[in-house]
Amino acid sequence: MARPADSSQPRFAAGCRWGTQGEERVVLFPEGIIRVQGTGLNILELCDGQRTVQEIVSALSEKFSGADPLKIREDVGSFLEALQQKRIVDY
Amino acid sequence: MTPNPLALIAEITHRCPLHCVYCSNSLQMIGVKSELSTDDWVRVFQQARSLGIVHLHLTGGEPVVRADLKDLVVAAHAVGLYTNLITSGIGLPEARLKTLVDAGLDHIQLSFQDSRAEPANWIAGTKAHAHKVIVSEVIRRFRIAFTVNLVVHRQNLDHLEEMIGFAEQLKPDRLEIAHAQYYGWALKNRDTLIPTREQLEDCLRIVEVAQERLSGRMRIDCVVPDYYARYPKACMGGWGRRLVLIDPSGQVLPCHAAGVIPGMTFDNVREHSLEWIWGESAAFQRFRGEQWMPEPCRSCERRAEDFGGCRCQAFLLTGDASATDPVCTLAPTHHLIESAQLASGDAGQPSWSYRTNPE
Repeated sequence: MARPADSSQPRFAAGCRWGTQGEERVVLFPEGIIRVQGTGLNILELCDGQRTVQEIVSALSEKFSGADPLKIREDVGSFLEALQQKRIVDY
Repeated sequence: MTPNPLALIAEITHRCPLHCVYCSNSLQMIGVKSELSTDDWVRVFQQARSLGIVHLHLTGGEPVVRADLKDLVVAAHAVGLYTNLITSGIGLPEARLKTLVDAGLDHIQLSFQDSRAEPANWIAGTKAHAHKVIVSEVIRRFRIAFTVNLVVHRQNLDHLEEMIGFAEQLKPDRLEIAHAQYYGWALKNRDTLIPTREQLEDCLRIVEVAQERLSGRMRIDCVVPDYYARYPKACMGGWGRRLVLIDPSGQVLPCHAAGVIPGMTFDNVREHSLEWIWGESAAFQRFRGEQWMPEPCRSCERRAEDFGGCRCQAFLLTGDASATDPVCTLAPTHHLIESAQLASGDAGQPSWSYRTNPE
């Protein structure tokens, strides 16, 4: 599957969700657990199935003023694609 | 320092409508009268979560035969466990599945014995295959993670591509191709189940091609048998390091098969907390770390990777649970594995020992 389009509305795939391990926020999925930090965490928190990729990029550009929006778009695309291949995110 | 466990395998019952010839349950089944109560399990789930456990696997036997399954899922979800139901689908109509999903079930794993009805029913010792196909359609009506589990062995590996195609049509998120593991019932039936070396090599190639083709649609995990490996598997991630299994009567074990090792006493959640059993009990400390290791393990540079292999396999094949796993090509008893591989070439008419049911 290709990278998400600007109009894609990413969300967790079925059976994938937030959880906690100790104090840490983690993503739980079948037979697995991942710790998401930094940029990845910022991206994933915005993936509610409503916001489009374009809106996510705008929100992040606002949050990190000064960052290059094209670079943010690139990071969002590759991050979501990697999670989609693991069947953790749908878009 | 003792690591925290990550997953709890809860065998909530040994009752099962199927009689699979490679069942992972022990040969000595636990009867319904000895099963833990709902309250016992609820307490255990709370303790498991406090101990750092994240994943709960509800299994059996067939877990849906327990009338309190929904209450168990509610309790597990309430404490934040990611809950997986491992089932044959027998006794799981849509209305019941809905109550489980509403209760917070995260993931369901449905097992198939084959892509073809006749051999599937032959392996299961009952006519379950057609029903399982219907159950898979029901599961897809819910927003829940869905894994199809296919157990593979000499009798079905020659049509693995067909089986992967069959699984694809069921539209799971994930396919688990699990080679039979030779303990308990599968060990009894090993000469009929163990694949040939050619079958195993073909299997690995076919799985790799399918993983590539289905990337992003269906994740494929393949659990390989270790009889043909050069080094043993890090069984369960090492004894008492990652996983804890509780049998229907509340005995706590480091894996499915550890009950076969003579002289071991496994403590029970009726008498002790899970934390104490994990951290302090003699059984969990028995093969933890490196003190117990014989040579060649003790001085082996791989000892922190595979932990000397599987203790149960070592006992079942050599009679000594402290021996190096005979799968290892460095083990003095490796010839035992070589002779089992040779037996895989025998093409006699199979005769099964079917899994029986508890009293």
